[in-house]
Amino acid sequence: MNIISVGVNHKTAPIEIRERISLSEVQNKEFITGLISSGLAHEAMVISTCNRTEVYVVPAMHEVTGEYLKEYLIAFKDARKEVRPEHFFSRFYCGTARHIFEVASAIDSLVLGEGQILGQVKNAYRIAAEAQCAGILITRLCHTAFSVAKRVKTKTKIMEGAVSVSYAAVELAQKIFSNLSMKKVLLVGAGETGELAAKHMFQKNARNIVITNRTLSKAEVLAEELGTNKVLPYESFKEHLHEFDIIITAISTKEYVLSEAEMHQCMIKRRLKPVIILDLGLPRNVDPDIGKLQNMFLKDIDALKHIIDKNLEKRSRELPKVNAIIEEELVGFGQWINTLKVRPTIVDLQSKFIEIKEKELERYRYKVSEEELQRMEHLTDRILKKILHHPIKMLKAPIDTTDSMPSRVDLVRNVFDLEEPNQSR
Amino acid sequence: MNNILFNNLPLLVLNQLLSLFYLITTFLYGAHFFKDSQFAKRYKQPVLVLTVLTHVVYLGLLTSIEGYLINYSTVNLMTMVGLTLTITYLFIEFTTKSDKTGFFVISFAAGAQLISSIMTARISNAGITFSGIGIGVHLIAAIFGFSAIAIAGLYSILYLLLFRQIEQNRFELLFQRLPNLEVLEKLTMHAVALGFLFLSITLFAGMVEQRASGEAIKLLEPKLVTLVVIWLLYGTGIFVKPIIGWDIKHMAYLFIFLFVFVTILIVFMTFFSPTFHGLTF
Repeated sequence: MNIISVGVNHKTAPIEIRERISLSEVQNKEFITGLISSGLAHEAMVISTCNRTEVYVVPAMHEVTGEYLKEYLIAFKDARKEVRPEHFFSRFYCGTARHIFEVASAIDSLVLGEGQILGQVKNAYRIAAEAQCAGILITRLCHTAFSVAKRVKTKTKIMEGAVSVSYAAVELAQKIFSNLSMKKVLLVGAGETGELAAKHMFQKNARNIVITNRTLSKAEVLAEELGTNKVLPYESFKEHLHEFDIIITAISTKEYVLSEAEMHQCMIKRRLKPVIILDLGLPRNVDPDIGKLQNMFLKDIDALKHIIDKNLEKRSRELPKVNAIIEEELVGFGQWINTLKVRPTIVDLQSKFIEIKEKELERYRYKVSEEELQRMEHLTDRILKKILHHPIKMLKAPIDTTDSMPSRVDLVRNVFDLEEPNQSR
Repeated sequence: MNNILFNNLPLLVLNQLLSLFYLITTFLYGAHFFKDSQFAKRYKQPVLVLTVLTHVVYLGLLTSIEGYLINYSTVNLMTMVGLTLTITYLFIEFTTKSDKTGFFVISFAAGAQLISSIMTARISNAGITFSGIGIGVHLIAAIFGFSAIAIAGLYSILYLLLFRQIEQNRFELLFQRLPNLEVLEKLTMHAVALGFLFLSITLFAGMVEQRASGEAIKLLEPKLVTLVVIWLLYGTGIFVKPIIGWDIKHMAYLFIFLFVFVTILIVFMTFFSPTFHGLTF
């Protein structure tokens, strides 16, 4: 039984190609059910995100190869003009397992250790399961991948540290102030960047967030969304600057929103209590000279990128630990795959013995009472269980070389005179 | 050889073992801070507790020679400084759940213990012993006072280092591992408040004991003058922040200066004024 994976991702194809080949949830369902209903695959699943579209298939025919699946997906998306097979990767057997383990544990992601991919893999499995396209192999593969991801998350630091500018801003604020719930935050600008920073602040317990924006209604909407409901008119927010410990600016403007003189006055009013200004605007919103004021921490996007780079370096150092976990799980998964090869023999073996038992018991059905027959049945069950225990254990035992498995199966089939297995799957 | 260690095998063994424990504890805290070793993270606190317990037993055995009376000698003061620093740090670690600054405090305590161990092996005179609650409180409060000064100084250094790293966008090891600036500020100010309290107790217990014993200590006696000067500087330090509005950065410079000043004074007095406030007993 094989499992093939083919797909495009950020390592194999540019964004235009990834966009062209990506599948919506509806298309995803249509694609995998098509594979199953046409008899091409026993099982199928597709992971489709902004950075990857990957197909996982347990083929039902020898003709269904990696190349076949690439062409099938290109044809499904009607993308022959733009997408070529060279844009795809393909993996087989343990290569597929390793790949999905790497994907789920976020070491194959564009941003190393990002936190969204596991949810996306889970969603892909949910779609396949709902469409009844996830059989024993894909289910086991996905559950092992989830277990790998969980171990990676708890045993390594691959997901630690901020890797986005807005989150790095919060991380920096936490390195200055111990408890953000006790601090007053001013957000200047209610655009996408500001909103993200405010949400990160909120997640870290900052509750006293005041928003100001040139369009007041936008500030009000964001304040309501955050649940703080605190806004300041843009024209007058500077009168309150001294009240804030953290100031985040993220607006589009050619002139500085805060000048050195204004902040100097603010610091006098604050009796030099530290202030952090996070300038997330481009071009910068805050006069760089403000950074020279005493107890003033002014950080722009470049400074925050230093934090991100350091965190990514730290995450990279965790890769050997992650790979060790993946190797361990691969061994376990490989052993489980091998037990699948012996499953028909085990089923045949059990069926044969049950058949013998039932034939023998049938001979005594009218010679003994119902109660005695039940006792005999119970006794024979126990004897069969004990007789079959060792051959089944031997069949399921891990093997060192793959070629010893057929010989093991042949031995059991010959000894117990079992019929040839059905080769359909 | 007439030496308290060489004449007492259990004491000698414990003395060597204690130094070894301090080195191991320092190494574990260092390995956790600098290398993020998970092994060190797991075992550093149990080893620290073991070190403190060994230290207490060692002090018990050391003072048992003189009938469990406190002995005024440099070696005893050094080992007491080591113990009080470690106990104070352990208290901080348990109460604040912050174990990131241990290396800096414990390495200082280990240094004090190592010096004490080496000196104990070299001296033949055990020093003057004291009895009485007043003198005991005076000595112990003085030692805790110095430990608090040392911790305030060390945390001030860490505060300034982290402050500079953030200021200069150098988000390196200290940025990643040290607690935040506000926590370091709190730790410093708590240590300063404790230090001032212990120094006040030292002065008060000294005055009470002098009256009770009738011993005359000169007003310009170096240790007395030093203690009063440090007490005044520390007291001023506590009130400077709320009254004058000094920021913690300037306070940190003051506490580092005081720490260095006190350490130098203690070293000087150990060599040039080795008696207990000029008393001969």
